Amino acid sequence: MISEFGIILLYFILGFVFVGIALVAAYFIRPSHPNAIKNSTYECGEIPIGEPWVRFNVRFYVIALIFLLFDVEVVFLLPWAIVFKGLGWFAFIEMIIFVVILLVGFAYVWGKGDLDWERPKPYIAKLSDLVIGKKKQ
Amino acid sequence: MMDISDLIKSISLFKPETTLIVTFMLAMILDMAFKKSKNIAGYIAIAGLVIAGIFLFQQTGVNYKAFANLLVIDSFGQFMKFIVLMSSLIIIVFSFFSNELHNAHTKLGEYYTLIIGMTFGMFLLVGSANLIMIYVAIETMSISSYVLAGYTREVKRASEASLKYVIFGAVSSGIMIYGISILFGLTGSLNLFEINQFLSVNNVATLPLLLSGLMILSGFGYKISAVPFHFWTPDVYEGAPVTITAYLSVASKAAGFAVLLRFFKTGLLDSVPGTSEAWQLLGNIDWHYVIAVLAVLTMTLGNLVAVWQTNMKRLLAYSSIAHAGYLLMAVSVMNDNGVSAVLIYFVFYMLMNLGAFFVVQLIANKLDSENIDEYNGLGYRSPVLAVCMTVFLISLAGLPPTSGFIGKLYVFSSVINSGYIWLAIIGVLNSVVSLYYYAKIIRNMYLRDVESAKTKLVFSPVTIAIVLMLAIPSLLFGVYFTPIVEWANYSMNIFVGN
Amino acid sequence: MTQDVVLPLSILTLLIPLLSFLINIFFGKKLGKISGVIGTSILGIDLGLAIIVAFTKLTSYAGIQVIQNRIEWFDLGSLQVNIGIGIDNIAAIMLIVVTLISFLVHLFSTVYMGDDRQYSKFFAYLGLFTFSMLGIVIANNFLIMYIFWELVGISSYLLIGFWYEKDSASNAGKKAFITNRIGDLGFFIGIMILFFTYGSFMFEDVFAGISSGVMPFDNPTMLTIAGICIFMGAIGKSAQFPLHVWLPDAMEGPTPVSALIHAATMVAAGVYLVAKVFAMFTADALTFIAVIGTITAFISATIALTQVDFKKVLAYSTVSQLGFMIMSLGVGGYTNGFFHLVTHAWFKAALFLAAGSVIHAMHQAMHHMHDHHTDPQDINNMGGLRKTMPWTYRTFLFVTLALSGIPLTSGFLSKDGILAGTLAYANLTGGWHWIIPVLGFTAAGMTAFYMFRLTIVAFHGEPKTEIAKHTKENKLPIVLPLVVLAFMSLWIFYSPNPIDASKGWFHKMIVQPKSAVPDAYQWSFLINNKTEEAAPAVHQAEGATHTAEITAENPHEVTKAGHTTGHYLNKFQEETHHFHYIAMILSLLIAGSGILLAFLIYQYKTISADKLEARFKFLHTFSYNKWYFDELYQATAINGLLVISKALSWFDNYVVDGLVNLSSYVTRGFGYIVGLFDNYVIDGAVNLVANFTGYCGNKMRKLQTGHIQSYVVFVLLGILILLYFFI
Repeated sequence: MISEFGIILLYFILGFVFVGIALVAAYFIRPSHPNAIKNSTYECGEIPIGEPWVRFNVRFYVIALIFLLFDVEVVFLLPWAIVFKGLGWFAFIEMIIFVVILLVGFAYVWGKGDLDWERPKPYIAKLSDLVIGKKKQ
Repeated sequence: MMDISDLIKSISLFKPETTLIVTFMLAMILDMAFKKSKNIAGYIAIAGLVIAGIFLFQQTGVNYKAFANLLVIDSFGQFMKFIVLMSSLIIIVFSFFSNELHNAHTKLGEYYTLIIGMTFGMFLLVGSANLIMIYVAIETMSISSYVLAGYTREVKRASEASLKYVIFGAVSSGIMIYGISILFGLTGSLNLFEINQFLSVNNVATLPLLLSGLMILSGFGYKISAVPFHFWTPDVYEGAPVTITAYLSVASKAAGFAVLLRFFKTGLLDSVPGTSEAWQLLGNIDWHYVIAVLAVLTMTLGNLVAVWQTNMKRLLAYSSIAHAGYLLMAVSVMNDNGVSAVLIYFVFYMLMNLGAFFVVQLIANKLDSENIDEYNGLGYRSPVLAVCMTVFLISLAGLPPTSGFIGKLYVFSSVINSGYIWLAIIGVLNSVVSLYYYAKIIRNMYLRDVESAKTKLVFSPVTIAIVLMLAIPSLLFGVYFTPIVEWANYSMNIFVGN
Repeated sequence: MTQDVVLPLSILTLLIPLLSFLINIFFGKKLGKISGVIGTSILGIDLGLAIIVAFTKLTSYAGIQVIQNRIEWFDLGSLQVNIGIGIDNIAAIMLIVVTLISFLVHLFSTVYMGDDRQYSKFFAYLGLFTFSMLGIVIANNFLIMYIFWELVGISSYLLIGFWYEKDSASNAGKKAFITNRIGDLGFFIGIMILFFTYGSFMFEDVFAGISSGVMPFDNPTMLTIAGICIFMGAIGKSAQFPLHVWLPDAMEGPTPVSALIHAATMVAAGVYLVAKVFAMFTADALTFIAVIGTITAFISATIALTQVDFKKVLAYSTVSQLGFMIMSLGVGGYTNGFFHLVTHAWFKAALFLAAGSVIHAMHQAMHHMHDHHTDPQDINNMGGLRKTMPWTYRTFLFVTLALSGIPLTSGFLSKDGILAGTLAYANLTGGWHWIIPVLGFTAAGMTAFYMFRLTIVAFHGEPKTEIAKHTKENKLPIVLPLVVLAFMSLWIFYSPNPIDASKGWFHKMIVQPKSAVPDAYQWSFLINNKTEEAAPAVHQAEGATHTAEITAENPHEVTKAGHTTGHYLNKFQEETHHFHYIAMILSLLIAGSGILLAFLIYQYKTISADKLEARFKFLHTFSYNKWYFDELYQATAINGLLVISKALSWFDNYVVDGLVNLSSYVTRGFGYIVGLFDNYVIDGAVNLVANFTGYCGNKMRKLQTGHIQSYVVFVLLGILILLYFFI
């Protein structure tokens, strides 16, 4: 008798086997004629320029994170708006508190200048960094 | 279903946490408003913590499942929250005197704010009775702690520590949430009470239950730094600012132990409230044994590796792993005596461990090093500090007449009373090993470089007063410990519903 | 003031002298001469507090037997240890005795110790001693009492050996400490027997246990033995026979110390202890106590007759008076025994301080005359001080009268009570117990004699040396304590009637506690069995009105106190009252003849002291050499130990070593092999364990690679291994 988890395990194994067979079969069947164009990265028909592993400016992440936060706010606001009439004042005050908390966060982000897009000044390493670095063995 | 009266009652019982949120926001805003003052957020944080403490005190004797069983308010939680609160307060005070932090180029507003945030996360964790709630709480405290660990970001090893911490934390919580999903799959609920109900009625397969349990344990184990989930501990402890190291070693650990105990007692064990007999296990798995093995591994590894350390923070990191092992020993007996022993131990552990770290911080302020050799001749360079450090170390080693001895006494007596003699013997052997490295520091302070004409170290009276305020209770509770024991016995019943 | 304030205030009273100790021990060098002022003023504050506490207890709460608390010190499941402090009436009075005398001694010392180079240390030790002594006073359990008991031992050791450069002083300190330890050992065994039986250190628990009929080891004799063991502590501290030898030697300490420790406080601790646990003594234990007290009183009185050192006479007199107190408690005269403790504290402290005053003056005179060889304490070098030191003389004379038991002094009241008690006891028990009053009265007579001998030789007549001629009266800080203490020895402080103390407040306050011992093991005459109806009937013969007065005036107070109503609690007190006048007349006659004899011999020289000495050569030498106790102990206990250890050493050297040597030849060859085994196998194993531990640690350390990738792998591996392990 196989339990539910046994069935899941079977699925796991089957999945691995299936993919494995497909890859192995392709390896044997396919013709192998590599050239430069075939090995290049697919960029919607454009010719790739430079390395694909470029560093993105950390600002993008910050903006993305902030966007995510306020996006989630909307996600919460939507169902609230739908049932708002039925819940009355209580829900209204609750949501005001929620929004105020988010606004505090917004003010903080703004005040800290995380919304400004300026090039950060590079940090120049000091001698003390080296000293501490050296002590660590 | 959650009705409105439950909600209102829950909110009224949520006052300590609410206070923390308000403090968090106030500290953030006011820190921006008063750009000149470096510590304003710290003062607000202290005020907030005190108020939260008052609200917490008002909850004495309350047993309630709040927010539709998401959180439990009980005296056990209250005790642990007090431990967390006290250590947060002490850490904020420590931070005022940290050169390491004050020499950093950033402002300290966020630092204090994040400590409040972390406290909030730990409050939630201590009370949570729902697996998702546990997860959210762990993440809340973890994210704050990641940032705090790397707060002095110009220091290379702090950044390294922070990054390692993040990755390790992510992996652990990943494993934990996978375990949660398996448990959910097995029982069809995320609520610990319902899981308990389900397990007591139905038979479930052993392997998935064990697997999910171990995976969830990895999440808790990472918080309390139990072997084999401890790998982050030495690196992070060494890299993070001393204050945060101290904080992680006490408060995080307290929250971790609280949720560990609650998870087992509420979720996996069929317990009759108020009896001191061993709790009955659900689901055919000997969790005593699992925790006992973890305890043995944890304390043995912690003590053996600590012997080799030359950096004080790293040494105390391994020592804190060893202490987690002793505490796990008390958890493994899984009865009310064990819980009471854990609670008693934590009060004393908080005093002595924070004290030892504060001394490390003060020495690092003066000498800019945490090497164990810097402590040579400290007994003559700063007698008061050295005496206090000796008290802390003797207490950590668990020798009378210090409070550490009393803590260990209760842990071992709970273990022996439950018949795990082998475990107690291993614990005692470990204590002997631990004596070696604690005594090494004392030897360095009093017997090494005594004649060398090293200058005296002068510390401000306030810092000395703080050290004394931790050292004197460490000694005093070694002699008169009844109030703590009574408080712990009062708080040992974990609320499991009617 | 409410009842709740009494205990915190008494704790404050306890701790304040400790503050003096801390200040003087840590900052003494910087403070210099100011440390004396600080110590004295701190003690002044302490005295004020003690007076407040005592008056509150004795006025507002006299009816409550004891105001006390009980704190659970720790609880280890089966073992619960409670401690606490308590103020009952005797504690309240003792608080005043200790703090007042300590204060006066502090004041006295500011001048007396003025030239000492360890000036501030002296005041530190005085503070420590006062702290420890107050701890004994306010303890309401054996544990705290024992802790402070030992603290008193330590601080008295420090004070007696204060001039530790002198061999005799440091030896005296050691002797006092070790002799006390012998008594304390018994005390400790007694406490352990009681704790083992009744599971508590609290007096009230022990008493409750005894009265419920529980006996140690289910044997009433063991209760007697436990009582005697506890009393051993008192034998040591209160210098009772046979452990009295340390007290005269302890006179090597500075004279203010003698006044504080060896007159009023430390030596009184033993008597206080017996009074505090009076309820637990069985009839047999009480008999033992009475006999020890009587022997002590008599022996030391005879020794005091012939001593020539000013302080030694006073020391033996103290031992003798302590014997009186113990004797009184032993015969059941609880109130009078404690009463004598208090009255004696004042006048004996005054005597010692007067001695200090004389010695100080002698020293000054010697210094003036550049004489460094004469013994300033030998009474044969004095004489005529009456003229040069009038105030010292007057006070000394008055307190000598008090000690001799002359009416209008407090000493008369208390000593008379004690002697009446011994007569009552002997009458009630009969047989050989009559020896107790006989020896008691003899000792009282001798007391009067040797005190007047001292007064006459030292103060009267012509100066015997040039030094005595040049003595001068001391400054006010030395004279003032004398006057105060002498004043305190007036009868009026205790009773309006100068010949009967039983109507005074003291006797109303200090009521004999109800014995906890079951009736079968207690003297029938000590059992409080008088009921209200019975009392007047018994009393009709003498003073029925008196009884009615008391019960009518404040019946509530008496009932509140939890005592059986009625004037006399038991037959013993009634009997004591009967003997009151007989005892008074007898003791006056005996004391008077003692004084007369002293005057005849030393003042008017009608009887030649030398001839007497020659005639009773044997007795004189016997007394002069203190009954050869020191020599006896040297010969028996100390030399005995030496002989035994020598014998053992001989046995060890020749017999054991011979055998050992013999066998060693045999085993040497074998040992060589074993040695090899030991070096390579056993040591190897030990080192292996140590190295293995280190090795494991070192290997485990290697897991900490610093690479987060490997950490994550280890965690996953760890979970898998655990899973495999537990499945």
